[in-house]
Amino acid sequence: MIWQPFRDPVLGCSSFLLGDEVTGVGLVVDALGSVGPDAYILAAQEAGLAIGFVVETHVHADHASAAAGLADALGLPVTLSHKAEASFPMNPVQDGAEIALGSLVVTVWETPGHTPDSVSLIVRDKTRSDDPWLVMTGDSLFVGDVGRPDLVDAEPELIRRAAQDQYESVHRLMTLPDFTELHPAHYGSSPCGGLFMSKKPESTIGYERRTNRMLAIDDPDEFAALQLNLLKPPPPDAARLRKLNLGDPADDAPVTAKRTAAVTDTLSWNSRGVLEDD
Amino acid sequence: MTDSAQELLEQSRQGTLALIDVRTTQAHTNGHVPGSVSAPFSRDGWGPAVADWLRSRSVTRVGILADNPVVGRAAGEALQAEQVTVHAVFDRGPSSWQEAGLPIVSVPSLTADELARQLDTRTVIDVREPYELRSGIVPGALTIPMGQLVRRTSELDRTARYAVICATGNRSQSAASYLADQGFQVENVRGGMALWLAGRHPVDYPKS
Repeated sequence: MIWQPFRDPVLGCSSFLLGDEVTGVGLVVDALGSVGPDAYILAAQEAGLAIGFVVETHVHADHASAAAGLADALGLPVTLSHKAEASFPMNPVQDGAEIALGSLVVTVWETPGHTPDSVSLIVRDKTRSDDPWLVMTGDSLFVGDVGRPDLVDAEPELIRRAAQDQYESVHRLMTLPDFTELHPAHYGSSPCGGLFMSKKPESTIGYERRTNRMLAIDDPDEFAALQLNLLKPPPPDAARLRKLNLGDPADDAPVTAKRTAAVTDTLSWNSRGVLEDD
Repeated sequence: MTDSAQELLEQSRQGTLALIDVRTTQAHTNGHVPGSVSAPFSRDGWGPAVADWLRSRSVTRVGILADNPVVGRAAGEALQAEQVTVHAVFDRGPSSWQEAGLPIVSVPSLTADELARQLDTRTVIDVREPYELRSGIVPGALTIPMGQLVRRTSELDRTARYAVICATGNRSQSAASYLADQGFQVENVRGGMALWLAGRHPVDYPKS
Protein backbone atom coordinates (compact mmCIF):
# COMPACT_ATOMS: atom_id res chain seq x y z
CA MET A 1 0.00 0.00 0.00
CA ILE A 2 1.20 3.51 -0.77
CA TRP A 3 0.44 5.95 2.08
CA GLN A 4 1.43 9.60 2.09
CA PRO A 5 0.03 12.16 4.56
CA PHE A 6 -0.07 15.88 3.71
CA ARG A 7 -0.45 18.18 6.69
CA ASP A 8 -0.99 21.85 7.47
CA PRO A 9 0.74 22.32 10.84
CA VAL A 10 -0.65 25.83 11.31
CA LEU A 11 -4.30 24.82 11.02
CA GLY A 12 -3.66 21.32 12.43
CA CYS A 13 -5.13 19.57 9.36
CA SER A 14 -4.22 16.17 7.87
CA SER A 15 -5.02 14.87 4.40
CA PHE A 16 -3.96 11.63 2.76
CA LEU A 17 -2.88 10.15 -0.57
CA LEU A 18 -3.16 6.37 -0.57
CA GLY A 19 -3.22 3.76 -3.23
CA ASP A 20 -2.52 0.30 -4.48
CA GLU A 21 0.89 -0.08 -6.10
CA VAL A 22 -0.30 -3.26 -7.82
CA THR A 23 -2.94 -1.59 -9.97
CA GLY A 24 -1.59 1.96 -9.70
CA VAL A 25 -4.92 3.43 -8.57
CA GLY A 26 -5.03 5.99 -5.76
CA LEU A 27 -7.38 8.05 -3.64
CA VAL A 28 -7.02 11.47 -2.01
CA VAL A 29 -8.83 12.15 1.27
CA ASP A 30 -9.62 15.66 2.59
CA ALA A 31 -7.44 17.58 0.09
CA LEU A 32 -6.35 20.85 1.71
CA GLY A 33 -6.67 24.26 0.07
CA SER A 34 -3.37 25.30 1.62
CA VAL A 35 -1.62 22.36 -0.10
CA GLY A 36 -3.44 22.88 -3.41
CA PRO A 37 -4.60 20.44 -6.14
CA ASP A 38 -1.33 20.41 -8.10
CA ALA A 39 0.72 19.10 -5.16
CA TYR A 40 -1.55 16.04 -4.84
CA ILE A 41 -1.51 15.37 -8.59
CA LEU A 42 2.29 15.58 -8.81
CA ALA A 43 2.84 13.47 -5.67
CA ALA A 44 0.49 10.78 -7.02
CA GLN A 45 2.33 10.78 -10.35
CA GLU A 46 5.66 10.36 -8.54
CA ALA A 47 4.25 7.52 -6.43
CA GLY A 48 3.09 5.76 -9.61
CA LEU A 49 -0.59 6.33 -8.86
CA ALA A 50 -3.44 7.59 -10.99
CA ILE A 51 -5.94 9.33 -8.68
CA GLY A 52 -9.23 7.49 -9.17
CA PHE A 53 -11.19 9.04 -6.29
CA VAL A 54 -11.25 12.38 -4.49
CA VAL A 55 -12.98 11.86 -1.12
CA GLU A 56 -14.10 14.20 1.65
CA THR A 57 -14.80 12.79 5.13
CA HIS A 58 -17.26 15.69 5.59
CA VAL A 59 -17.90 19.28 4.54
CA HIS A 60 -15.21 21.15 6.48
CA ALA A 61 -16.01 24.22 8.55
CA ASP A 62 -12.51 25.29 9.58
CA HIS A 63 -10.48 25.49 6.36
CA ALA A 64 -10.84 25.70 2.58
CA SER A 65 -10.91 22.32 0.85
CA ALA A 66 -9.08 21.57 -2.41
CA ALA A 67 -11.36 18.60 -3.19
CA ALA A 68 -13.57 20.31 -5.77
CA GLY A 69 -10.57 21.88 -7.53
CA LEU A 70 -8.64 18.60 -7.52
CA ALA A 71 -11.61 16.58 -8.77
CA ASP A 72 -12.26 19.14 -11.51
CA ALA A 73 -8.62 19.02 -12.68
CA LEU A 74 -8.89 15.21 -12.95
CA GLY A 75 -12.39 15.10 -14.44
CA LEU A 76 -13.76 13.24 -11.39
CA PRO A 77 -16.74 13.83 -9.09
CA VAL A 78 -16.10 14.38 -5.35
CA THR A 79 -16.94 11.29 -3.29
CA LEU A 80 -18.92 12.58 -0.31
CA SER A 81 -21.72 11.51 2.03
CA HIS A 82 -25.14 11.40 0.38
CA LYS A 83 -26.23 13.79 3.16
CA ALA A 84 -24.13 16.66 1.76
CA GLU A 85 -25.74 18.93 -0.82
CA ALA A 86 -22.87 20.19 -2.91
CA SER A 87 -23.15 22.22 -6.11
CA PHE A 88 -20.17 20.47 -7.77
CA PRO A 89 -20.36 16.96 -9.35
CA MET A 90 -20.68 14.43 -6.54
CA ASN A 91 -20.36 10.68 -6.10
CA PRO A 92 -22.68 10.25 -3.08
CA VAL A 93 -21.88 7.34 -0.72
CA GLN A 94 -23.91 5.67 2.01
CA ASP A 95 -23.04 3.50 4.98
CA GLY A 96 -21.35 0.27 3.88
CA ALA A 97 -20.26 1.56 0.45
CA GLU A 98 -16.99 0.06 -0.76
CA ILE A 99 -14.42 1.83 -2.90
CA ALA A 100 -12.22 -0.77 -4.62
CA LEU A 101 -8.68 0.23 -5.52
CA GLY A 102 -7.22 -3.04 -6.80
CA SER A 103 -6.08 -4.95 -3.73
CA LEU A 104 -7.16 -2.14 -1.37
CA VAL A 105 -10.76 -1.95 -0.19
CA VAL A 106 -12.03 1.25 1.43
CA THR A 107 -15.28 0.81 3.39
CA VAL A 108 -17.45 3.82 4.22
CA TRP A 109 -19.10 4.12 7.63
CA GLU A 110 -21.41 7.03 8.28
CA THR A 111 -20.21 8.55 11.57
CA PRO A 112 -22.36 11.67 12.12
CA GLY A 113 -21.88 13.99 15.09
CA HIS A 114 -19.36 16.65 14.11
CA THR A 115 -21.52 17.15 11.01
CA PRO A 116 -24.46 15.07 9.71
CA ASP A 117 -22.39 14.31 6.58
CA SER A 118 -19.37 12.86 8.42
CA VAL A 119 -17.99 9.51 7.27
CA SER A 120 -15.07 7.34 8.35
CA LEU A 121 -13.05 5.31 5.86
CA ILE A 122 -11.77 1.87 6.81
CA VAL A 123 -8.88 0.54 4.71
CA ARG A 124 -8.02 -3.13 4.14
CA ASP A 125 -5.04 -4.32 2.10
CA LYS A 126 -6.10 -7.71 0.72
CA THR A 127 -2.51 -8.62 -0.14
CA ARG A 128 -1.82 -8.61 3.61
CA SER A 129 -5.06 -9.56 5.34
CA ASP A 130 -8.82 -9.17 5.39
CA ASP A 131 -8.49 -7.28 8.70
CA PRO A 132 -8.72 -3.48 8.74
CA TRP A 133 -5.27 -1.87 8.67
CA LEU A 134 -6.27 1.73 9.27
CA VAL A 135 -9.23 4.04 9.60
CA MET A 136 -9.47 7.68 8.55
CA THR A 137 -12.01 9.16 10.94
CA GLY A 138 -12.27 12.74 9.67
CA ASP A 139 -13.63 14.79 12.61
CA SER A 140 -15.37 11.89 14.39
CA LEU A 141 -12.66 10.36 16.58
CA PHE A 142 -9.47 12.33 17.25
CA VAL A 143 -6.27 11.40 19.07
CA GLY A 144 -7.30 12.01 22.71
CA ASP A 145 -10.59 13.66 21.81
CA VAL A 146 -13.69 13.69 19.58
CA GLY A 147 -14.99 16.19 17.00
CA ARG A 148 -17.06 19.13 18.26
CA PRO A 149 -20.81 18.98 17.55
CA ASP A 150 -21.69 22.68 17.30
CA LEU A 151 -20.42 23.96 13.94
CA VAL A 152 -23.46 23.16 11.77
CA ASP A 153 -26.49 24.26 13.83
CA ALA A 154 -26.78 27.05 16.37
CA GLU A 155 -29.87 25.57 18.09
CA PRO A 156 -28.85 24.14 21.53
CA GLU A 157 -31.17 21.11 21.25
CA LEU A 158 -29.74 20.20 17.80
CA ILE A 159 -26.20 20.58 19.13
CA ARG A 160 -26.99 18.27 22.04
CA ARG A 161 -28.45 15.71 19.63
CA ALA A 162 -25.34 15.98 17.42
CA ALA A 163 -23.18 15.32 20.50
CA GLN A 164 -25.23 12.17 21.19
CA ASP A 165 -24.78 11.08 17.55
CA GLN A 166 -21.06 11.58 18.06
CA TYR A 167 -21.23 9.27 21.10
CA GLU A 168 -22.78 6.51 18.96
CA SER A 169 -20.31 7.11 16.11
CA VAL A 170 -17.12 6.97 18.19
CA HIS A 171 -18.34 3.85 20.02
CA ARG A 172 -19.07 2.22 16.67
CA LEU A 173 -15.47 3.02 15.65
CA MET A 174 -14.39 1.24 18.85
CA THR A 175 -15.73 -2.03 17.39
CA LEU A 176 -12.67 -2.04 15.09
CA PRO A 177 -9.72 -4.21 16.19
CA ASP A 178 -7.22 -2.63 18.62
CA PHE A 179 -4.37 -2.72 16.09
CA THR A 180 -6.26 -0.55 13.57
CA GLU A 181 -4.31 2.66 12.92
CA LEU A 182 -6.28 5.85 13.57
CA HIS A 183 -5.77 8.79 11.17
CA PRO A 184 -8.06 11.74 11.95
CA ALA A 185 -8.38 14.92 9.87
CA HIS A 186 -7.05 17.14 12.69
CA TYR A 187 -4.47 17.29 15.44
CA GLY A 188 -2.81 19.83 17.73
CA SER A 189 -4.63 23.07 18.33
CA SER A 190 -7.20 22.65 15.55
CA PRO A 191 -10.47 24.26 16.64
CA CYS A 192 -12.47 21.22 15.41
CA GLY A 193 -11.76 19.20 18.55
CA GLY A 194 -11.86 19.88 22.27
CA LEU A 195 -9.22 20.58 24.86
CA PHE A 196 -7.94 17.00 25.06
CA MET A 197 -6.82 16.76 21.42
CA SER A 198 -3.23 15.54 21.10
CA LYS A 199 -0.54 17.23 19.04
CA LYS A 200 0.33 13.77 17.70
CA PRO A 201 -1.44 13.31 14.35
CA GLU A 202 -2.12 9.55 14.54
CA SER A 203 -2.81 6.77 17.05
CA THR A 204 -4.44 3.32 17.14
CA ILE A 205 -7.96 2.22 18.06
CA GLY A 206 -6.51 0.20 20.97
CA TYR A 207 -4.51 3.10 22.40
CA GLU A 208 -7.57 5.36 22.26
CA ARG A 209 -9.70 2.64 23.89
CA ARG A 210 -7.30 2.70 26.84
CA THR A 211 -6.57 6.40 27.06
CA ASN A 212 -9.17 8.64 25.38
CA ARG A 213 -11.07 10.40 28.20
CA MET A 214 -14.18 10.90 26.05
CA LEU A 215 -14.41 7.14 25.39
CA ALA A 216 -14.29 6.34 29.10
CA ILE A 217 -17.77 7.87 29.48
CA ASP A 218 -20.52 5.28 29.03
CA ASP A 219 -23.53 7.57 29.15
CA PRO A 220 -24.53 9.60 26.04
CA ASP A 221 -25.95 12.51 28.08
CA GLU A 222 -22.85 12.78 30.24
CA PHE A 223 -20.71 12.56 27.08
CA ALA A 224 -22.69 15.40 25.44
CA ALA A 225 -22.54 17.54 28.59
CA LEU A 226 -18.76 17.17 28.94
CA GLN A 227 -18.21 17.85 25.24
CA LEU A 228 -20.23 21.07 25.37
CA ASN A 229 -18.50 22.14 28.56
CA LEU A 230 -15.05 21.81 26.97
CA LEU A 231 -15.63 23.64 23.68
CA LYS A 232 -12.90 25.87 22.31
CA PRO A 233 -13.82 29.12 20.56
CA PRO A 234 -15.28 28.07 17.17
CA PRO A 235 -13.22 28.47 13.98
CA PRO A 236 -13.84 31.93 12.49
CA ASP A 237 -16.53 31.98 9.83
CA ALA A 238 -17.45 28.29 10.10
CA ALA A 239 -20.77 28.69 8.26
CA ARG A 240 -19.19 30.61 5.40
CA LEU A 241 -16.41 28.01 5.02
CA ARG A 242 -18.94 25.18 4.91
CA LYS A 243 -20.80 27.04 2.14
CA LEU A 244 -17.55 27.64 0.27
CA ASN A 245 -16.61 23.94 0.59
CA LEU A 246 -20.01 22.94 -0.81
CA GLY A 247 -19.11 24.84 -3.96
CA ASP A 248 -21.19 27.95 -3.26
CA PRO A 249 -19.52 30.60 -5.43
CA ALA A 250 -21.36 33.54 -3.82
CA ASP A 251 -18.53 34.40 -1.49
CA ASP A 252 -15.07 33.78 -2.83
CA ALA A 253 -12.92 35.98 -0.59
CA PRO A 254 -9.34 34.70 -0.73
CA VAL A 255 -8.57 31.65 1.39
CA THR A 256 -5.38 33.29 2.64
CA ALA A 257 -7.49 35.81 4.53
CA LYS A 258 -9.23 32.93 6.34
CA ARG A 259 -5.93 31.35 7.12
CA THR A 260 -4.54 34.51 8.65
CA ALA A 261 -7.71 35.00 10.65
CA ALA A 262 -7.51 31.46 12.02
CA VAL A 263 -3.89 31.88 13.02
CA THR A 264 -4.50 35.22 14.71
CA ASP A 265 -7.35 33.77 16.69
CA THR A 266 -5.38 30.74 17.81
CA LEU A 267 -2.60 32.99 19.01
CA SER A 268 -4.97 35.25 20.88
CA TRP A 269 -6.56 32.27 22.70
CA ASN A 270 -3.09 31.10 23.59
CA SER A 271 -2.20 34.50 24.97
CA ARG A 272 -5.27 34.29 27.18
CA GLY A 273 -4.16 30.89 28.36
CA VAL A 274 -7.28 29.15 27.10
CA LEU A 275 -5.41 26.40 25.29
CA GLU A 276 -2.70 25.88 27.85
CA ASP A 277 -4.23 22.78 29.28
CA ASP A 278 -1.08 20.71 29.48
CA MET B 1 -6.40 17.77 -34.93
CA THR B 2 -6.20 14.57 -37.00
CA ASP B 3 -3.65 16.10 -39.37
CA SER B 4 -1.35 17.14 -36.57
CA ALA B 5 -1.67 13.69 -34.94
CA GLN B 6 -0.73 12.00 -38.23
CA GLU B 7 2.15 14.43 -38.70
CA LEU B 8 3.35 13.74 -35.16
CA LEU B 9 3.26 9.96 -35.68
CA GLU B 10 5.11 10.31 -38.98
CA GLN B 11 7.85 12.45 -37.41
CA SER B 12 8.09 10.00 -34.53
CA ARG B 13 8.58 7.13 -37.01
CA GLN B 14 11.27 9.09 -38.84
CA GLY B 15 13.01 9.87 -35.57
CA THR B 16 12.81 13.67 -35.91
CA LEU B 17 10.51 13.94 -32.91
CA ALA B 18 10.11 11.82 -29.76
CA LEU B 19 6.74 11.02 -28.25
CA ILE B 20 7.28 11.11 -24.48
CA ASP B 21 4.64 9.36 -22.35
CA VAL B 22 4.99 11.13 -18.99
CA ARG B 23 2.32 9.07 -17.16
CA THR B 24 3.05 6.39 -14.57
CA THR B 25 4.60 3.12 -15.77
CA GLN B 26 1.35 1.39 -14.89
CA ALA B 27 -0.72 3.75 -17.06
CA HIS B 28 1.72 3.30 -19.97
CA THR B 29 1.56 -0.47 -19.78
CA ASN B 30 -2.25 -0.42 -19.66
CA GLY B 31 -2.32 1.26 -23.06
CA HIS B 32 -0.05 3.58 -25.00
CA VAL B 33 0.67 5.18 -28.35
CA PRO B 34 2.91 2.86 -30.42
CA GLY B 35 6.45 4.22 -30.59
CA SER B 36 6.03 6.43 -27.52
CA VAL B 37 8.72 6.28 -24.85
CA SER B 38 7.72 5.81 -21.22
CA ALA B 39 9.39 8.44 -18.98
CA PRO B 40 7.18 8.98 -15.90
CA PHE B 41 7.43 12.63 -14.85
CA SER B 42 8.83 13.54 -11.45
CA ARG B 43 9.78 16.94 -10.04
CA ASP B 44 13.29 15.73 -9.19
CA GLY B 45 15.82 15.69 -12.07
CA TRP B 46 13.41 14.48 -14.74
CA GLY B 47 13.98 17.34 -17.25
CA PRO B 48 17.80 17.01 -17.45
CA ALA B 49 17.62 13.18 -17.62
CA VAL B 50 15.11 13.18 -20.50
CA ALA B 51 16.98 16.00 -22.27
CA ASP B 52 20.22 13.95 -22.04
CA TRP B 53 18.46 10.95 -23.53
CA LEU B 54 17.03 13.10 -26.35
CA ARG B 55 20.47 14.60 -27.08
CA SER B 56 21.98 11.10 -27.23
CA ARG B 57 19.50 10.36 -30.04
CA SER B 58 19.95 13.81 -31.64
CA VAL B 59 16.28 14.66 -31.14
CA THR B 60 15.37 18.22 -30.18
CA ARG B 61 11.58 18.13 -30.52
CA VAL B 62 9.01 16.24 -28.48
CA GLY B 63 5.31 15.54 -28.20
CA ILE B 64 4.13 15.04 -24.61
CA LEU B 65 1.47 12.47 -23.71
CA ALA B 66 -0.07 13.06 -20.27
CA ASP B 67 -3.31 12.16 -18.55
CA ASN B 68 -3.91 15.53 -16.90
CA PRO B 69 -2.92 19.16 -17.60
CA VAL B 70 -1.00 19.59 -14.31
CA VAL B 71 1.54 16.89 -15.14
CA GLY B 72 1.52 17.79 -18.85
CA ARG B 73 2.37 21.42 -18.08
CA ALA B 74 5.04 20.57 -15.49
CA ALA B 75 6.73 18.13 -17.91
CA GLY B 76 6.61 20.67 -20.76
CA GLU B 77 8.19 23.37 -18.60
CA ALA B 78 10.91 20.98 -17.39
CA LEU B 79 11.88 20.15 -20.98
CA GLN B 80 11.69 23.76 -22.22
CA ALA B 81 14.10 24.68 -19.41
CA GLU B 82 16.52 22.23 -21.08
CA GLN B 83 16.09 23.90 -24.50
CA VAL B 84 13.91 21.08 -25.84
CA THR B 85 11.14 22.19 -28.21
CA VAL B 86 7.73 20.98 -27.03
CA HIS B 87 5.82 20.63 -30.30
CA ALA B 88 2.55 19.32 -28.85
CA VAL B 89 1.03 18.35 -25.51
CA PHE B 90 -1.82 15.85 -25.27
CA ASP B 91 -2.92 16.09 -21.66
CA ARG B 92 -6.29 14.40 -21.27
CA GLY B 93 -5.33 10.71 -21.34
CA PRO B 94 -5.74 7.90 -23.89
CA SER B 95 -9.41 8.50 -24.75
CA SER B 96 -8.66 12.09 -25.76
CA TRP B 97 -5.59 10.95 -27.72
CA GLN B 98 -7.78 8.58 -29.68
CA GLU B 99 -10.18 11.42 -30.42
CA ALA B 100 -7.19 13.38 -31.71
CA GLY B 101 -6.39 10.47 -34.05
CA LEU B 102 -3.55 8.75 -32.19
CA PRO B 103 -3.66 4.94 -32.09
CA ILE B 104 -3.45 3.09 -28.74
CA VAL B 105 -2.04 -0.38 -28.28
CA SER B 106 -2.76 -2.62 -25.33
CA VAL B 107 -2.32 -6.32 -24.62
CA PRO B 108 -5.26 -8.32 -23.29
CA SER B 109 -5.06 -9.10 -19.61
CA LEU B 110 -6.73 -11.24 -16.98
CA THR B 111 -6.81 -11.16 -13.19
CA ALA B 112 -5.07 -13.70 -10.96
CA ASP B 113 -8.49 -15.11 -9.98
CA GLU B 114 -9.46 -15.53 -13.65
CA LEU B 115 -6.14 -17.23 -14.33
CA ALA B 116 -6.73 -19.64 -11.44
CA ARG B 117 -10.06 -20.69 -12.96
CA GLN B 118 -8.60 -21.10 -16.46
CA LEU B 119 -5.19 -22.52 -15.66
CA ASP B 120 -5.84 -25.73 -17.67
CA THR B 121 -6.18 -23.77 -20.92
CA ARG B 122 -3.09 -21.61 -20.51
CA THR B 123 0.65 -21.92 -20.01
CA VAL B 124 2.06 -19.46 -17.50
CA ILE B 125 5.39 -17.74 -18.15
CA ASP B 126 6.92 -16.22 -15.00
CA VAL B 127 9.43 -13.51 -16.01
CA ARG B 128 10.74 -12.70 -12.52
CA GLU B 129 14.39 -13.05 -11.50
CA PRO B 130 15.41 -16.43 -9.96
CA TYR B 131 15.63 -15.04 -6.39
CA GLU B 132 12.07 -13.76 -6.60
CA LEU B 133 10.73 -17.26 -7.32
CA ARG B 134 11.38 -18.28 -3.69
CA SER B 135 8.07 -16.65 -2.75
CA GLY B 136 6.41 -19.36 -4.86
CA ILE B 137 5.35 -19.81 -8.50
CA VAL B 138 2.08 -20.70 -10.19
CA PRO B 139 2.10 -24.54 -10.40
CA GLY B 140 3.53 -25.63 -13.76
CA ALA B 141 4.76 -22.16 -14.77
CA LEU B 142 7.71 -21.79 -17.15
CA THR B 143 10.31 -19.53 -15.56
CA ILE B 144 12.15 -17.26 -18.00
CA PRO B 145 13.74 -14.14 -16.47
CA MET B 146 12.86 -10.97 -18.38
CA GLY B 147 16.44 -10.52 -19.61
CA GLN B 148 16.50 -13.96 -21.27
CA LEU B 149 13.11 -13.75 -22.95
CA VAL B 150 14.31 -12.45 -26.34
CA ARG B 151 16.79 -15.28 -26.87
CA ARG B 152 14.52 -17.97 -25.48
CA THR B 153 11.39 -17.43 -27.59
CA SER B 154 12.47 -20.50 -29.64
CA GLU B 155 11.42 -22.58 -26.60
CA LEU B 156 7.84 -21.33 -26.93
CA ASP B 157 4.98 -22.90 -28.87
CA ARG B 158 3.17 -20.73 -31.41
CA THR B 159 -0.05 -22.70 -30.99
CA ALA B 160 -0.12 -22.36 -27.18
CA ARG B 161 -1.95 -19.72 -25.18
CA TYR B 162 0.37 -17.93 -22.75
CA ALA B 163 -0.31 -15.89 -19.63
CA VAL B 164 2.71 -13.82 -18.53
CA ILE B 165 3.20 -13.08 -14.85
CA CYS B 166 5.72 -11.18 -12.69
CA ALA B 167 5.61 -9.68 -9.18
CA THR B 168 2.96 -7.01 -9.73
CA GLY B 169 2.11 -7.02 -13.44
CA ASN B 170 4.43 -4.32 -14.78
CA ARG B 171 7.33 -6.29 -16.21
CA SER B 172 4.96 -8.97 -17.46
CA GLN B 173 3.09 -6.29 -19.40
CA SER B 174 6.28 -5.33 -21.27
CA ALA B 175 7.11 -9.00 -21.82
CA ALA B 176 3.58 -9.71 -23.05
CA SER B 177 3.78 -6.74 -25.47
CA TYR B 178 7.02 -8.12 -26.87
CA LEU B 179 5.65 -11.65 -27.27
CA ALA B 180 2.48 -10.31 -28.92
CA ASP B 181 4.67 -8.42 -31.40
CA GLN B 182 6.42 -11.74 -32.11
CA GLY B 183 3.10 -13.33 -32.99
CA PHE B 184 2.42 -15.35 -29.85
CA GLN B 185 -1.02 -15.56 -28.22
CA VAL B 186 -0.48 -13.83 -24.87
CA GLU B 187 -2.26 -12.18 -21.99
CA ASN B 188 -0.84 -10.23 -19.07
CA VAL B 189 -1.77 -11.27 -15.51
CA ARG B 190 -2.89 -8.07 -13.77
CA GLY B 191 -1.47 -7.62 -10.27
CA GLY B 192 0.93 -10.54 -10.82
CA MET B 193 2.03 -12.84 -8.01
CA ALA B 194 0.97 -10.20 -5.44
CA LEU B 195 -2.68 -10.86 -6.26
CA TRP B 196 -2.15 -14.60 -6.94
CA LEU B 197 -0.85 -14.96 -3.37
CA ALA B 198 -3.46 -12.57 -1.98
CA GLY B 199 -6.15 -14.76 -3.60
CA ARG B 200 -4.74 -17.75 -1.65
CA HIS B 201 -4.14 -19.67 -4.90
CA PRO B 202 -1.76 -22.66 -4.76
CA VAL B 203 1.98 -22.24 -5.37
CA ASP B 204 4.95 -24.50 -6.03
CA TYR B 205 8.37 -23.82 -4.55
CA PRO B 206 11.09 -24.36 -7.17
CA LYS B 207 14.29 -26.09 -5.97
CA SER B 208 17.34 -23.97 -6.71
